[in-house]
Amino acid sequence: MKRKLSLLAAPYAVWLFLLVVIPILIMAVYAFTTSDSAATLENFMDMGIYASVFVRSFRLAAIATLICLLIGYPAAYFMAGEGPGFQRVALALIMLPMWMNFLLRTYSWMAILENNGLLNQLFQKIGLFSFLSGITGEEAQAFQMLRTPGAVTLGMVYNYLPFMILPIYSVILKLDSQLLEAARDLGANSVQVFWRVILPLSLPGVLSGVTMVFVPSVSTFAISRLLGGGTQMMLGDLIEQQFLGGAYNPHLGAAISMVMMVIVVLCMALMNHFGEGEEQAVML
Amino acid sequence: MSKELIRLQNLCMAYDGETILNNINLYINDKEFLTLLGPSGCGKTTTLRIIGGFTTPVSGDVFFDGVRINDVPPHKRQINTVFQKYALFPHLDVYENVAFGLRMQRRPEPGSKRGVKLSNEEIDRRVMEMLEAVSLKGFERRRVDALSGGQQQRVAIARALVNRPKVLLLDEPLGALDLKLRKDMQIELKRIQQQVGITFIYVTHDQEEALTMSDTIVIMDKGNIQQIGTPEDIYNEPKNAFVADFIGESNIIDGVMAQDRLVRMYGRQFPCLDGGFAENEPVDVVIRPEDIDIVPVEQGQLTGTVTNVTFKGMQYDIIVDFRGFKWLIQTTDHSPVGSKIGIKIDPDGIHVMKKSEYSGMFGDYSSFSDEYDELNGTDEAREEQSNET
Amino acid sequence: MKQSRRTGSRILIALVFLFLYAPIALLIIFSFNEGDSSAVWRGFSLHWYQSMLRNRLIIESVYMTLLVSLLATLISTFAGTFAAIGLYSLPRRRRDVLLTVNNIPMMNADIVTGVSLCLFFVAFFQFWGGFARWLNGVQSAFVLPERLTLGFGTLLLAHIAFNIPYVILNVAPKLRQMDRNLMDAAQDLGCTWMQAFWKVMLPEIKPGIISGALIAFTMSIDDFVISYFTAGSSTSTLAMTIYGMTKRRVTPEINAVSTLLFLTVLILLVIVNVGEIRQERRRRNPSVRKEPFGERLRRFLSTRTGRYVQWGITAAAAICFVATVSFLTAETQSIPVVNVCSWGEYIDTDLIDRFEAETGIRVNYQTAESNETMYSLLKSGGADYDVIVPSDYMIAQLIEEGMLSELNYDNIPNFQLIDPRFRNLSYDPENKYTVPYTWSTLGVIYNPTMIDGPVTSWGALYDERNAGKVLLINNSRDAIGEALMYLGYSVNTTDENEIRAAYRILDEASKRGVFQGKVMDEVFQTMEGGNAAIASYYAGDYLSMLENNEDLRYVIPDEGANWFVDAMCVLKDAPHMREAEAWINFIASTDASLANMDYIGYASPNSEALEQYPAYYEELYGEPMDPELYDIMVTPPEVLERCEMYENTPPNVRALYNRLWIQLGI
Repeated sequence: MKRKLSLLAAPYAVWLFLLVVIPILIMAVYAFTTSDSAATLENFMDMGIYASVFVRSFRLAAIATLICLLIGYPAAYFMAGEGPGFQRVALALIMLPMWMNFLLRTYSWMAILENNGLLNQLFQKIGLFSFLSGITGEEAQAFQMLRTPGAVTLGMVYNYLPFMILPIYSVILKLDSQLLEAARDLGANSVQVFWRVILPLSLPGVLSGVTMVFVPSVSTFAISRLLGGGTQMMLGDLIEQQFLGGAYNPHLGAAISMVMMVIVVLCMALMNHFGEGEEQAVML
Repeated sequence: MSKELIRLQNLCMAYDGETILNNINLYINDKEFLTLLGPSGCGKTTTLRIIGGFTTPVSGDVFFDGVRINDVPPHKRQINTVFQKYALFPHLDVYENVAFGLRMQRRPEPGSKRGVKLSNEEIDRRVMEMLEAVSLKGFERRRVDALSGGQQQRVAIARALVNRPKVLLLDEPLGALDLKLRKDMQIELKRIQQQVGITFIYVTHDQEEALTMSDTIVIMDKGNIQQIGTPEDIYNEPKNAFVADFIGESNIIDGVMAQDRLVRMYGRQFPCLDGGFAENEPVDVVIRPEDIDIVPVEQGQLTGTVTNVTFKGMQYDIIVDFRGFKWLIQTTDHSPVGSKIGIKIDPDGIHVMKKSEYSGMFGDYSSFSDEYDELNGTDEAREEQSNET
Repeated sequence: MKQSRRTGSRILIALVFLFLYAPIALLIIFSFNEGDSSAVWRGFSLHWYQSMLRNRLIIESVYMTLLVSLLATLISTFAGTFAAIGLYSLPRRRRDVLLTVNNIPMMNADIVTGVSLCLFFVAFFQFWGGFARWLNGVQSAFVLPERLTLGFGTLLLAHIAFNIPYVILNVAPKLRQMDRNLMDAAQDLGCTWMQAFWKVMLPEIKPGIISGALIAFTMSIDDFVISYFTAGSSTSTLAMTIYGMTKRRVTPEINAVSTLLFLTVLILLVIVNVGEIRQERRRRNPSVRKEPFGERLRRFLSTRTGRYVQWGITAAAAICFVATVSFLTAETQSIPVVNVCSWGEYIDTDLIDRFEAETGIRVNYQTAESNETMYSLLKSGGADYDVIVPSDYMIAQLIEEGMLSELNYDNIPNFQLIDPRFRNLSYDPENKYTVPYTWSTLGVIYNPTMIDGPVTSWGALYDERNAGKVLLINNSRDAIGEALMYLGYSVNTTDENEIRAAYRILDEASKRGVFQGKVMDEVFQTMEGGNAAIASYYAGDYLSMLENNEDLRYVIPDEGANWFVDAMCVLKDAPHMREAEAWINFIASTDASLANMDYIGYASPNSEALEQYPAYYEELYGEPMDPELYDIMVTPPEVLERCEMYENTPPNVRALYNRLWIQLGI
């Protein structure tokens, strides 16, 4: 019976090979060849000039991840402390935006952040600009918010915050309350309980949250295109440019993808090294 | 009573290159209460799973009522199982758990190829009967995870027995219960077995459980059967040091057979009842702690020094040092630590065994307390389970 | 103290929700806006909902999104569950290897997954093409299609591929938690393996399967990046449609769609949650012993009527399935089709309906962002266009690379109406491949209310005084070309030093913060809304913008400008040659040209149309056309003389353009 059951894994193994392993291998082949299919390392040699794009992507993604963590952890922590009815509703409310495509949500921010957008209108109404020009003497009618790094970061935080809250929440929820009682019993006050027991034990959730925010952030191109207006070129834009954008060069695109993949995997491996066991950190 | 029902022939089993069963031959009679007894990893659960049909042996045959059933899937065997930790279906209530097997059954009927299902009335009648028999009436709609251990245990038994199997397999069913409940359930199980009059095959690592309930005990270790016999046989006539040690408490001493009915230990001759050994053959001598009488030093066959005394309620367990080899003696008399005592052993208190691979491994009470703890280990069952998967 | 902390925590949670929902609320509110702005409220109206229902692009992409998400969820839940069971019964070491591979799509950035799948599909198509040609050559029993392109199939495969790991991840823990003896127990009690699976394993792992399916569906709906790389050009999910729109004008119809989607999900969620709560209450309170719904359903289904219902449901499901499949196949086969790729806001859409009504040929009208983007799409095998409308220099490049097919001008009688000025131009000297579509100039659009003085030079684009108010055109040829013209060089120069000098102009301006952003069709929204003061764009599009913002001015700078022709051509091996020529002929007609000129503001090369347009305008609007605007639209010959047309540049110059362009973005 056992043996028969494991046959079920065979088609999936084939599938994985075809649609996961081979595509990545093909990508690797592209990365190491030129358009006349000659082997080359040129694609990687050229990468130096994109260093600043790498730096910007990783910097913005790291900032966004940090902000998500700073907002998401307390939110998840407090949520887990509420009653079951509250939790159920809160959980549903956090999941709900994900059923609208993230482009819709990002697009909505465009209307808010425009120079003539809602936020600037609001500032105008409350007289912020006249107040400011009174102080600085300079006349300002709007803050340039769209097409700035801040807007891109905001877009990332907005879109990926639920991915930070959910895993942390589910890990905190599963904490054995006896552990907390034991810690109290051993003389820890509530701050100490948090720092010495809850935080270390919720680390797997934090790690998986960080992964789930950082990886899509570092590689996004839709958010940077919409909110960054082409001025904040990120790795995702760079790659997209090589495949479907103005600068057609899939070999270079594959090379950049490979480098990004390797860096991301290294980052994740490093992190998991510190907090082993991402296994239990599933979203739900 | 003596009709043979199940026969295991040359059963071998291995997993990942590791031998789990090594040429097991065993027959089981109808209406017998047979216990497979042994430490974890001895192969007893594997043997049970082969009989149940959950595991296919590498080689060897299983016969049921004279018919080879190696290839019969579990659901077609007239055998039901009470699983370790019960394996009750958490998504069903008590009633539906018990009714599960009946809902699966199809009674052969002329004109219908697949047979017909049992009527709801019949199912209801049999389930209620069974619940009554295990004193769980009124619990029908309870969720199984809301029951106590003992109640779950009884649901598991009811669920198996309601199908009226010819054989009931029980895989350490009492392992998760506390001591008092376990004792009650031992008696209850024996009663149920006698009442329904079918074969029980029982797996346990608890020798006391085995002695209490079984008609026949099969002692296994390392994939081999060490001894088959009634509880009395096994206790009184262990075949080797392993059996002697596993069943009850034993002092096992190196000896030499001087001649028939005379064995030499500590340079002295002791009369005994055993014979059939070669002259001067080295042997293992088993002396049960309760078969040793304490006498004044001058009357003793041997003299030793008391090193430890434990009060056990009915008796004292005292550890006595005989020239560096420590014996366990159970006696009703108190002897203070450090006192010199003499001992006397009747010929029927001495049991002589041939030397075996187990010689020298058991029977010394130097590390007295450690060994006591080991005997009561309850985690063993779980380990065994994971070893075999 | 405790109370205050609780209040504090609630405030934080409330703020988080405010942050999450404020933009969504705005989206919903502005879906009822009378006006078409997402920032200015002009009164309540439902007309966006009405027009949404008539917008074929939106409706089709919503349908496509739901179809792909549902199918992918269904298939991946099914496959993932069994794969998890299979994985779980493997020896540990092999299981761990497979699980690691299984985690790759989840760990990888979406874009890497998308790119690798895209490359895989393209490689497979090449392999398949060779195989099909060989097989069609050696036998004649059946014919395999030789040309496969990215589309619905690849999109679905990609979605399944990234969904299965989530299903497995959710089912596996349930399998691990399940008492291993449960399956044995069920079989012991008389179940076959299949029965035991249905009656015991499935109920046990059901929560895992459901949450797996839920997450898979969420991921599918939420996905944009992987779809973008694997759907090709002909299939478009809602996300892709929105992405396409954000480059131009996002119609508030999108707000309407999102509102409807959001409300649907909200209602579903409430139903599910209420059901769960009720179930839980029943569980906690066993004295109110009601027969569980499943039990009642089972009993009902075993009655005679129940069996009919069962048959009915099965039949309905089968019909739905067959209908879907036949719809998908019919879509691709029975009706004659022509796939057209053009630019955004570049046709009077009524023409499409008119053409379809006249000829019975269905038009798949798609748009690309720029010549370069379209070229990438073609190269990567992501497109199955018949007719494309590239600009002059790109046509020359495509001809050079042998990617266009020669036209049969007998099938395009309207070609005779094309003014000789626009025939045999440098990009197609013998005029074998092309029929001109429009011609226009690239000049400077500015908003005099936001800057001082009139603009007369390209230099205004790089002037520090305009910092933060300039939009740079987001395509290398135009952006660098403008700087070349500013410096007085030819736009077709191959001198690396001149090109680098032009790049430095851009680079310095960029460093000084002159450019607010790089835009293509986003320019409409930004300039019309007064969010930027200066941009360079095409004369035709200026006329469209003028309708929404009367302040805007257009100028051809003193240094001269670029004039260009966009022409229709047909790709090599296009599967619908006949339909493509019919379309080209239709568009080249005087009627269509007039309609187009009026709608898009670009001049037609049709000599009759050029002549008749002022009269046509007067008839349509009841007032004569402003001659100044006519001169902007139909550039007078003396101005055209100052303008230069792009020519195809050698590959090394193209590579230099690309490199510099990306460097600029950095």
